[in-house]
Amino acid sequence: MKRKIALTLLFLSLFSSKEVFSYSQENPKISPYIQFQYFKNNEENSILKTTLTYSKNRMELPLAGMKVAFYSGSEEKKRLAEIITDDKGVAIYSLKHDSDFFINNNGLWPFTSEFGGNDTIESGISELLIRDVTLNMTLTKTDSIKTIVVGAKKKEKGKEVPVSGETVTLYVPRMFSLLPIGEAKLDETGSASVEFPASLPGDKQGNITIIARFEENAEFGNVEKKSTLKWGLPSAYSVPAGHRALWTKTAPKWMIYSLSVLLSGVWGHYLFAIISLIRIRINSKKKKVENKELFIK
Amino acid sequence: MFGNQEIMLTEKKLLQDLTPEIETTGIRWYITFAIFFLIFCVGIYALIQQIEKGHIVTGMRDNVVWGLYIVNFIFFMGLSYAGALISGVLHLFHTGWRKPVIRLAELLTVISLVIGPFFIFFCIGRLDRLPFLVMYPRIQSPITWDVIAISTDLVGCFLFLYLSLIEDFAILRDYNDLHVKPWKKKVYKVLSLGFTGSEKERKILTNAKNVMAAMIIAIAIIVYSVLAWIFGVTLQPGWHSTIFGPYFVIAAVFSGTGLLIILMYIYRRVYHLEEYITKRHFVNVGVLLIIIAAFYGYFTFSDYLTKWYGSIKMDSLLIDKLFHDYFALFIFANYIGILLPCIIIAFPRFRTIRNITIAAVIAVLALWVNRYIIVIPTLETPFLPIQDTRPDWIRYSPTWIEWSLTLAGVSVYGMLFMLVSKIAPIISISEMKKEDKIEIMK
Repeated sequence: MKRKIALTLLFLSLFSSKEVFSYSQENPKISPYIQFQYFKNNEENSILKTTLTYSKNRMELPLAGMKVAFYSGSEEKKRLAEIITDDKGVAIYSLKHDSDFFINNNGLWPFTSEFGGNDTIESGISELLIRDVTLNMTLTKTDSIKTIVVGAKKKEKGKEVPVSGETVTLYVPRMFSLLPIGEAKLDETGSASVEFPASLPGDKQGNITIIARFEENAEFGNVEKKSTLKWGLPSAYSVPAGHRALWTKTAPKWMIYSLSVLLSGVWGHYLFAIISLIRIRINSKKKKVENKELFIK
Repeated sequence: MFGNQEIMLTEKKLLQDLTPEIETTGIRWYITFAIFFLIFCVGIYALIQQIEKGHIVTGMRDNVVWGLYIVNFIFFMGLSYAGALISGVLHLFHTGWRKPVIRLAELLTVISLVIGPFFIFFCIGRLDRLPFLVMYPRIQSPITWDVIAISTDLVGCFLFLYLSLIEDFAILRDYNDLHVKPWKKKVYKVLSLGFTGSEKERKILTNAKNVMAAMIIAIAIIVYSVLAWIFGVTLQPGWHSTIFGPYFVIAAVFSGTGLLIILMYIYRRVYHLEEYITKRHFVNVGVLLIIIAAFYGYFTFSDYLTKWYGSIKMDSLLIDKLFHDYFALFIFANYIGILLPCIIIAFPRFRTIRNITIAAVIAVLALWVNRYIIVIPTLETPFLPIQDTRPDWIRYSPTWIEWSLTLAGVSVYGMLFMLVSKIAPIISISEMKKEDKIEIMK
């Protein structure tokens, strides 16, 4: 009896434990994770990007359809826009540079991204301090040596001063991702140079795109400059000749031969069985005649 | 005619025990047959509805274009190939205990093979275009491989069954105490081909049977692999697998072995064959079921593990669907359906005839469900959305038309087994004659 009770309890505990735990305590609110970034592209257009996610079962999942407000300033704030996150949890606001942004004492732009939360998700806020920077890239070729020269200037107290000590990463886009080709550390004049590798393939004409970037820089955010020129090796891709052609009018020869051999083998054996049946019939008839003759004798 | 007096006595005993089912037909037989026929009529009505109104009366739509019919087709074809494999192997290896069950395995092969293709006909929207398959075949197409394979298999299995029946037809033809209608005697006379049992005729027949036994094993493996490749060569999630051929063959043998046990139980009970189909036969076929279950479980695990670990987007979506929308069916087909029969048969204390049969019923049902979760969830996980698609095109649920035709197929299956048992002995008399005489006389 004790054993039965113990087994029943074990059974019940196994199958009900999940429900007991899930209903015995109140569901806590989801804590969102806010990633707030600044991007400036080749055309000098800037955006503020907020990615709203949360963690579930050790996976980062997007929070789609949430209202995210963008502000200029941190203590004293000016509302720029309210954007709804897409299915990836991303809300993007394009900055208008003629806008009247707040500037703090150090000459930086303070931006704030705010998520108000709801019944199930907690609210959240994230801030950024950005200094406007101008990134330049010059591509020079002396004899056979190709050089990428990058330079950067920032505004401080109304003046343009060179950026020194920061790193600019250089890339070349490939089929699936960006191929890093070098890093340039800016000197006190705000410039640095990197030799371009001679063996990189470009398109049919040898065109190749070079990208220079400040990446997740604490002061400038993400700033990019790119340029396309014929510095790559021209590449020609030929279509492989032996493509699969099961949609052609005739089947591949190997298939016809294999099937013919296989079917001949199988039906050959069937023929043997049918011939055996005929032989039985003939033999039985013969025996019948023999028995008749024996009976008459 | 067939040898010494001792054998004649054995044959007499066998004839006395095994021919009453051919001579007389009880009221229970008629009632069962009538029930099956009624279900068959409902199926015919459903088929008329389907032909009149089109496939809109089924649950199949633009995404899920293969439904219950294809599930049944694969299932019945699997049963057939399993029957062929089992009967071929038992015949070639001269397994001592095979004799009372080998005829059932042969019948299982042929009857399943007759029923299976009908489900393809139900699935085809334009039956009038069916002759095009033969008129304009494309050897490159796996569908053409299947047509060739099934027709070849059908001929081979019929031949093998017929070869194994000739001796029995001759025995029944020569049995003077057989009280059957004259037409039946005439049928035996014609079908026995005048077989006299001479040494020469026996040798010819044995050679032919051996050759055909070997052939049907090979054909069963090839044909069911071809059927698996129809799925495997597509890039659909859940189907595109290199192990689909052997996986299908193993799964087929699993279900066929299960059904063989069920048939043994039914015939043993209905025709009182307790003396011939004993617990030993159930245990032996049951052990075979465990071994195949182990292989089948291994293949299933291997297939899903690689898909899950690979985490290709569509495979992950499919596995997610299987573990949520099809959770109960998935667990039944791949856990309960494999483990429970093994547990029942593996432990001697559970190993009774009834329990082994219950295990077999679970195995057969699980295999049918396995076929369902192979076909449907994959089609419910399309790569690309169809223009103007609707949610109900993606979610499949069979209609009463499909269920009726499924049950009609099962009922015809049952009717054919019932009819065959009225023409030929369900246990091969000629095979049994060769068995240890002392055992039979006991």
